[in-house]
Amino acid sequence: MILYTPMQLELVLAGLEQMTHYPERRTTVNGVPALVRNVGGREELVQLLSTDPKDYLRTDLYPGAQVIPSR
Amino acid sequence: MSYYQSFDEVPGIFPYHPPSQPGPETDPHRPENPGDDPDTERTKVVGKSKTTMETVKEMGATQVPEIKSNIHCLTIVGQIEGHLVLPPQNKTTKYEHMIPQLVALEQSPEVEGIVVVLNTVGGDVEAGLAIAEMISSLSKPTVSVVLGGGHSIGVPIAVATDYSFIAETASMTIHPIRLNGLVIGVPQTYEYLDKMQDRVVRFVTAHSHITQDKFRELMFRTGELARDIGTVLIGHDAVQCGLINEVGGVKQAMNKLKSLVEEWKSRNEVPLQ
Repeated sequence: MILYTPMQLELVLAGLEQMTHYPERRTTVNGVPALVRNVGGREELVQLLSTDPKDYLRTDLYPGAQVIPSR
Repeated sequence: MSYYQSFDEVPGIFPYHPPSQPGPETDPHRPENPGDDPDTERTKVVGKSKTTMETVKEMGATQVPEIKSNIHCLTIVGQIEGHLVLPPQNKTTKYEHMIPQLVALEQSPEVEGIVVVLNTVGGDVEAGLAIAEMISSLSKPTVSVVLGGGHSIGVPIAVATDYSFIAETASMTIHPIRLNGLVIGVPQTYEYLDKMQDRVVRFVTAHSHITQDKFRELMFRTGELARDIGTVLIGHDAVQCGLINEVGGVKQAMNKLKSLVEEWKSRNEVPLQ
């Protein structure tokens, strides 16, 4: 990966080692397949896994959104 | 319980006949104050919809009343995140969400034009070029506005649209791609970087009026940046060298997009037989 940015790399990558990794799991949110992680008791959407492009225009599903995944 | 028992212990047969026909004189067995009845346990259920402030706090977004616009706005901010998740102090644009979104925009019949708003400090070369290629290959009219900054890999994204604007005070930094990550001191490393740079240069020159020589000259100019070689183009400078079409803000961009949409619609109209 090559970063092309005028910002200092030390600034961009600061804290890379301290980043906590939350385990991610595959589930469906409102019928849409997605990667979800639990951050401090709240379910956060990481990435949509849907193949339907329309799902990516939904206003309730975006990376970082708080969601209620189906069990 | 006994108060409310209005059915038989053993289910009756339809039609139901009460034991005695009630008349105007019959006591309906209604307690005077049902809340005082110690036998009944009740819980009060209160519904409440979220206020605007609450949604802002929780989601960082407000619920906008649903008026569907025929124009879609794509914002590209902060670092364009590549294959590596950047530490949380970075504001990032996630390409894995943007790319299918662009597919959806191309497909959806209600979207007629796309405005790309840029305020970015660059980011991953591959992810940036991927977004730029997606935008340039859309069949629908696109307009970009550079506000604040559109640096490094923001440059190809800004020029990828049909028409580009830059705010008078906005700046664009053009500089060479440098090595970060694994450095191996062999001539091939330099060649690899050079190829990477060529991809950016070729895309920018193919989608704007700047010549390759001019762009490379700006990229390797010395004495402009304190810590690096390269150039910072501010507002009019970017227009003068042919990189950006016009100086302007949201108003100019929306007017241009509207006229492009009209043109596109008339071109795509099915002639009546």
